Amino acid sequence: MTLRGAFTALLLSTALSAQTQSPVFSTKVEVVRVDALVTDSGRPVLGLGPADFEVLDNGVPQAVEFVSYDQIPLNVVLAFDMSESVAGERLAHLRSAGTAVLAGLKRNDQAALVTFNNQIMLGAALTGDLGPLREAIEDVAGVGDTSLVDGVYAGITVGESDAGRALLIVFSDGLDTLSWLSSAAVLDTAKRSDVVVYAVSVGKVKADFLRDLASFSGGRLFELEKTANLSATFVSILEEFRQRYLVSYTPRGVSRDGWHRLEVRLKGKRATIKARPGYLAGPG
Amino acid sequence: MRRVLLLAASIVIVNAPSHARSRFDISSQNTVAGPERGQRAPIKAESEMDARLARVERWLKAVLHHKPGEPDDAAREVNGWSNSELRSLWIDTNVVVKLIRNPKAASFSIRAEGQSRSQDVHYAPADFARLRALACAADGQIGAGAIVESPRCLETLVFGRLDDELRDLARHAHASKQRGDDNYVLRRGAILEADVAMLLPHNSEPVASSGGPAPDRFRMHLADGQGTAFRQVAIHWELARMLLDFVKPSGADRAAPGRDDMVRDWYRATASWMQDREDYDDMHLDRARQIFPADPVILFLSGCQREVYAAPRIQSAVRSAVAPPGTIFGIASDRGELHHAEDYYRRALAAGSSLPELHLRFGHVLLLLEHEADAAQQLRVALEREGDPLLRYYGQLFLGAAEERLGHGDVARQTYREAAALYPNAQSPHLALSALARRLGDRATALAEMHIVFELQHADSPPDDPWWTYYRSQARNADDLLESLWRPFLTEVDR
Repeated sequence: MTLRGAFTALLLSTALSAQTQSPVFSTKVEVVRVDALVTDSGRPVLGLGPADFEVLDNGVPQAVEFVSYDQIPLNVVLAFDMSESVAGERLAHLRSAGTAVLAGLKRNDQAALVTFNNQIMLGAALTGDLGPLREAIEDVAGVGDTSLVDGVYAGITVGESDAGRALLIVFSDGLDTLSWLSSAAVLDTAKRSDVVVYAVSVGKVKADFLRDLASFSGGRLFELEKTANLSATFVSILEEFRQRYLVSYTPRGVSRDGWHRLEVRLKGKRATIKARPGYLAGPG
Repeated sequence: MRRVLLLAASIVIVNAPSHARSRFDISSQNTVAGPERGQRAPIKAESEMDARLARVERWLKAVLHHKPGEPDDAAREVNGWSNSELRSLWIDTNVVVKLIRNPKAASFSIRAEGQSRSQDVHYAPADFARLRALACAADGQIGAGAIVESPRCLETLVFGRLDDELRDLARHAHASKQRGDDNYVLRRGAILEADVAMLLPHNSEPVASSGGPAPDRFRMHLADGQGTAFRQVAIHWELARMLLDFVKPSGADRAAPGRDDMVRDWYRATASWMQDREDYDDMHLDRARQIFPADPVILFLSGCQREVYAAPRIQSAVRSAVAPPGTIFGIASDRGELHHAEDYYRRALAAGSSLPELHLRFGHVLLLLEHEADAAQQLRVALEREGDPLLRYYGQLFLGAAEERLGHGDVARQTYREAAALYPNAQSPHLALSALARRLGDRATALAEMHIVFELQHADSPPDDPWWTYYRSQARNADDLLESLWRPFLTEVDR
């Protein structure tokens, strides 16, 4: 979660200009965006508007100004572990899964590829041209150690580099062995960002960092023993993300800096809501 | 690029070895003919005990012929012996060196590293006589030009069981004594065993408890932070350490390895080699510290090893590994290992070390323990004294992190930039600058710094971040230390 200024608000306004809702944002206020998955008995609840949501920021009710559902183009960042353990069948499955995500993108969506082993590499910057991305995914190969934390940071940064809803899909089959950045520092970044992280961890490792990361960003961690169904997992992530609402409000009645605890509810309706538990604002 | 990490664990042996009590028919004690150099014949034996004693003989000849630092035929022959054979060798050479130090000894109690109890080892009289003959040769008591000082060796001489090679060994051992060093087989045996461990491919077998008094050695291979294999491996390092325990410095009347420069240099060089090759062995430095409790280099390397053990790649592997029953890793939690490292670094400083790198690594450990102000102080000491760009890079990077956590963003930014200037192809300073900017709300700079990271993949020269090798860079002089260790022995060979 982050506080975005006039720039984000204006872009949101532009993106929704063709919609029935025409929210007007002040260019001098900061807007909080909360990505929320609303389900009832496991099925997504559709057709909700601003009046249906209740948002509490540090316990203070906020006026929801804008709700979007599947209207803002996605920025999907794939962050793939390319350490030496990703080889053979596992690598083939990962390539297929990445390609499956690209196949699920819609017009105006963008995607990027970040890989990490010792080195952090940008396989492809955010682009709507999927050809180079497919090539980049085909070119990946595992070697070296795992800079998972650094790689996640790079993925978040790439996700934030463009307006739109950012989904970061992290794949790793191991634990971090080489990052310079600490997991605490990158979790701090995640708390300041509105990039939603879905992580896929393969193997018998305790994916504590990825679990915390997914939790703080409002995403989800998938822990798999094998990669045979990796494509289905990746596609389900994309589908689930598309079913999320983007709820926006301008914080009022709360201090600007520090940790903001968030609660998102539906007014008068039974539902399960998955959203980030809070956000961090101001310099740390 | 595959990295292999090795960890030794210990296993408690509770049963006395049955094979150590086996009897041997004296009629089978034939002299083993000296084979041609480079064409070492297989050991022929009429019983298990015969084979054991023949192996001791062959080992002594390998000590004689081995050229330090070379994976020669002598080293290859020793490397070809099974773990079981080496365990027997460990017991029998232990007895041989005890006989060298005390020719009157008639009973032997042996305790391997990591074992809590000693065990008695018994030989049949004929076997024991043969071992004594080998001990006499190894001690320089028998052979052309040698003076027979011990009546017991005189008896052996009368038996005439030694072939030309063993007599040659005895002559060299005697000459060494004449030069004032009564440790010919001990020093060269340790060099041989270390060379086998370092220079030749490791032999390994499935894990199994030997049930004998000799040590067992287990190794876990690691790759990418996960254990990939658990094997039982040869005990060459254990043999080497056991031999050096009996070193008697010039002028001493008993074994005192802690007063011997070669033993100290051996531990320094081999421990450095292990860290450089990421081939870790707890017991190696444990023994080194027992012998040299105040040696600043050994304390420094002990701190480095514990710092490595605290690193994610080791912690994650140990957490995910299932060790064989009866074995232990001897690795604490990350914070526990950091505290061990801190303790060793403090002791190294107290021992008078003036190494700037000690302050650097001590500072890094303090940083990880969240003592940022103390860390910054140590890192500044290191930077004031250190001119090596590699160590300055580490120092600037760590100091930047300490200053960042102390809330000194401007200072942190400056030190990160200095690190980046030292290694323009390194990504870590730019990651640090990006995260710092992101935390302070400067997204543009955060992104710009990440673009620098991404551009490194397209640079003319390949990315090179010393951070990737931090955990073994303390041992970057390992090969030089080994060359220095081998040099006097090579001169002796030439002579």
